[in-house]
Amino acid sequence: MEQVVILGGGVAGMQTAIALNDLGIKSVLVEKEPELGGKVKNYDKTFPFFRSGKALVRELDESVKTSSLIEVRTGTEVSSVTGTAPNFQVKLTSADQKIPAGAIVVATGFEPFDASLQEEYGYGVYPNVITATELEHLLDFDGPTGGELERPSDGEIAKRVAIVFCVGSRSEKLGHNYCSRICCSFSTKQAIEIKERYPDARVTCFYMDIRTYGRGFEEMYRRAQELGINYIRGRVAECGMLPNGDITIKAEDTLLGKPVRGTFNLVSLSTGMVPCLDAPRIASLLGIKLAEDGFFDCRDNDLYPNDASREGVFLAGSAIGMKPIPDCISDGNIAAARAAAFLKKQVIPQGFY
Amino acid sequence: MPTVPYNTRAREKIWTRYIKEVPEERFLFLPSCVLGVGYPGTETMIPGIFDLLGLDWNWNLGPESVCTCCSGIAYHGDVAPIESTLLTTARLWSLAQEAGYDAIAVACVTSFGVHCECFDLYREEPGLKKKMDRLLMEACGRKFELPRHIVHVSDVIYQHRMKLGGEFMVHRLTDKATGQSLRGVDHVGCHYHKLFPLERSLGGAEYCEVLSGLVKAWGGEEVDYPERRHCCGMGFRQCMITPNRSVTTACVNKKLESMEPFGPDFMVTNCPGCQVYLDKEQWAIRELTGKEYFVPVLTYMELAGLLLGWDPYDVVGIQFHTVPVEPLLDKIGIPYDESKAWLGKDGQPLFCADEIRRATPAAGKAREGQLLE
Amino acid sequence: MDEESKKQRDDKSSLDPKRQAYPGQSMPVQGVPDEIDAIKKLLTEELEPWFRRDSSVQGRDARRCREYLDSLSDEELISQYNELRDQKVVWDNGYFYPNIKRLFMTPFEREKDRREIAVWERQYGDSEVVKWYQESRSQPCTWWIENHIITKHAFHSCMNCGLCTAVCPAAEFNDYNPRKIMETVQRKDEEEIVELLKADTIWFCVQCGSCQTRCPRGNSPFGLISSLRQLCQLKGYHTASVRGRQQYAGRHLWGGNYWNRGWSLYFRNPVVESNLDFGPRFARYFQNKEEIYRRVGGCPDMDGSMPGRKVPPETLHQLRRCFQVGGALHLWDQIEKYAREQAREWDMDIDDYLYKVWHEG
Repeated sequence: MEQVVILGGGVAGMQTAIALNDLGIKSVLVEKEPELGGKVKNYDKTFPFFRSGKALVRELDESVKTSSLIEVRTGTEVSSVTGTAPNFQVKLTSADQKIPAGAIVVATGFEPFDASLQEEYGYGVYPNVITATELEHLLDFDGPTGGELERPSDGEIAKRVAIVFCVGSRSEKLGHNYCSRICCSFSTKQAIEIKERYPDARVTCFYMDIRTYGRGFEEMYRRAQELGINYIRGRVAECGMLPNGDITIKAEDTLLGKPVRGTFNLVSLSTGMVPCLDAPRIASLLGIKLAEDGFFDCRDNDLYPNDASREGVFLAGSAIGMKPIPDCISDGNIAAARAAAFLKKQVIPQGFY
Repeated sequence: MPTVPYNTRAREKIWTRYIKEVPEERFLFLPSCVLGVGYPGTETMIPGIFDLLGLDWNWNLGPESVCTCCSGIAYHGDVAPIESTLLTTARLWSLAQEAGYDAIAVACVTSFGVHCECFDLYREEPGLKKKMDRLLMEACGRKFELPRHIVHVSDVIYQHRMKLGGEFMVHRLTDKATGQSLRGVDHVGCHYHKLFPLERSLGGAEYCEVLSGLVKAWGGEEVDYPERRHCCGMGFRQCMITPNRSVTTACVNKKLESMEPFGPDFMVTNCPGCQVYLDKEQWAIRELTGKEYFVPVLTYMELAGLLLGWDPYDVVGIQFHTVPVEPLLDKIGIPYDESKAWLGKDGQPLFCADEIRRATPAAGKAREGQLLE
Repeated sequence: MDEESKKQRDDKSSLDPKRQAYPGQSMPVQGVPDEIDAIKKLLTEELEPWFRRDSSVQGRDARRCREYLDSLSDEELISQYNELRDQKVVWDNGYFYPNIKRLFMTPFEREKDRREIAVWERQYGDSEVVKWYQESRSQPCTWWIENHIITKHAFHSCMNCGLCTAVCPAAEFNDYNPRKIMETVQRKDEEEIVELLKADTIWFCVQCGSCQTRCPRGNSPFGLISSLRQLCQLKGYHTASVRGRQQYAGRHLWGGNYWNRGWSLYFRNPVVESNLDFGPRFARYFQNKEEIYRRVGGCPDMDGSMPGRKVPPETLHQLRRCFQVGGALHLWDQIEKYAREQAREWDMDIDDYLYKVWHEG
């Protein structure tokens, strides 16, 4: 029986497998970490509706477990792919035998940008400059501080917080010209969480543009403003540290046209996303192209956004470019449908090459 | 003293991304305008240190081949178009090639910046080299090639800092009384690390290491403070056309205000402009605000000279400083004879004893009022 | 380099950091008289005001001196200056040029500089660089922005993120905003740009380059401003603003130093009266600068390689040619022209005008 090999067990990969199962097609879900769930399994709250990421992953996990046609292989990676569609032979690092695949779906996700590369912010050097991922853990009630916003240097509750947008994105200097799309949203979400937990806190967001679009997103932004979160339109230029660990920030308030200086207890860098570090290796294994921004390229940006550049290979989730969770789930369904259609027809579409 | 330390290992991981190639020797030495005007002792020491290290170097080769200003101040002061600067630097590169060297070592940071800017323009504009070949031939009958290395003299000193510290220096940057390392604020000239951080700055733009490396190698401790990367405010036309100088004073004040809580013992600079204004504006700040910072500001060369045991007044020239350096010498344990400060070239006193006492105030007891006799 | 010079250079026996000569420079000849009569002859009562540096030459004196200088041809004036400049005496084991201190920053030197531009233009014509700058004066500002070598590389698509203004030291202390300047230029509206050039705005930049380091798109606001400042002076818009007019001072301070001494600054430039912020120790040193310089090994107004040195005429000529071919002389000509126009408009002597623009701000 024809089966589909899915690379990546995050939410996009999991949904692909579930959708294929619903269509009666067998799939092998390959994940390099010991657990399924990708990045979302660590998120306490997601945007814009503040639902639990952990619960979402648990639900998907249940569905995967109860699906008879999904074979899960965790703690393993792809080491080689031979043959052509619909007769791929996929070899994994954990087993000697080759797995046959009629189609392959790439759902390998993303990595957060390494904030220490944007040196002017002093990430890693100044203890109270943290990343959004670290802030997420601090705000998590099941996390290391039990949900208290204790800053790294001395454990004091941070009452003056700055959130810096566009770290690692929209910068030719850093080699990432693109916008990472979701950072405005998760930053706003985090700002709301802080302000709701500590109503007397001062939270300031330094942004270039507010890119919160889609149902519920603009509403979330408005809610943030109504809570009294400060939005200053100006990209942060540099951070310094005072003797007591407070962080100084330099930016321009471009709407008022003046430079501003601020002192904060804690600064969170909303890092953008870069393609998963394996992307070049996987691209060469599968014989598919990467786009200029380093994410996987699709066959046609308008008509075939979930088809890779090679026949029989499909793409889902952040591997193509950053997107919110519902879009990743959507992508899973799309990739499953495209793979299923391919298996059914096994015909090379007109004008493919 | 700071209560929250910063992560030195993370800092090192960042600056070590920017190690630039500095030749061991064989360079044409290009002196500076401002350094010669404000702190001539620094520049007269450079040949001495080069010779001490046994380097192969040269400078003015003959009456037609004397080094001139690179025209950086004219360019940044907007009285020279870029083409005249390109020609002036091309002539200097031609001098290096005349001497058989493929490297130039400049004493001034504006100069360093200008040489790098010119070099970069050749890379960005394809037809420029041919055009400048033609123009330089027309102007002074010379040919030139792009130099393989453009370095600053502080790069060379950095390169040899261990040798200087280990083999030649007789003093260390430690407090004689307590044995603790002295805290040195490094102020690297803007045009050294901000213009082309990847290719030209030893340590990059944010955590430039060229001066703090010297401080650490010679027994001191580096200091990080929020306004560390802030320009000194020299600003070319801002300081040299005197009605505009308030921005310079304001910038120096900003930096001093920011560094004070970190308890610096001294500042070290590699840019002549920065040296002049970080030193001299501290007097103006005292007059205007009453606040006496009086952190001694030394060039890297003066620091080296003092630690090598060279005479503070005869060779290093600390009497040129507005902020007294003597308190720092006391801390380190470098001996000096204050009565020798204001002697002339033959050891004759230039001022009477009374004036000498008034002219060398210890920090905190600086003389009020009268600036001229 | 010959063996003797090499030996001189490599001699470390006394580790004397006070190196004096460049290889090949000849040492002074014994028996040269200490005083030279020609100096005294020229310093008549008539000419004396031209050597005053402290304030402008006003009214009656200016007229008298100008009458005298007008009576000299360009070549006579220049050769008189050069003769004075190159007169030397023996002092402290070297040659000392005593007149440079009488000549620098005087109306006499400035008048000579002005006339010399005309002589050089007659002698050497317009280089291709000068021709380009001449053409640019008749073109709109937007043409310059698209064609000037610096602007082409300093500026492409600004997204107004504000990083430049965030770190700008000038923006901290002045009503100045580099981002707004980038935006104005980006809009390419000729009228708006001309208005920008006629204001004080572009003259606040300290040319530190902090903006270039930070810009995420790789722009260089300070490079753009450098370029705009050139355009402004070529078109004469700079005389419309207080800070712009100061360029006349820059032309003589740096231009005069380059043309006559080969370096941008001269060790006698920072006079105490204009630098009271430097404090009393500086004033002490400045009173006896030659001696103190000499003590640390400098060559104040002397032949040699150390700070304060006089650049030999052969090298100075090469530098001047670089400035002429490269268009600096032409730029100075333009600056002089617009200064003359404005001085005439204000019914002021040109040296009074210089004093005024140098002390305003």
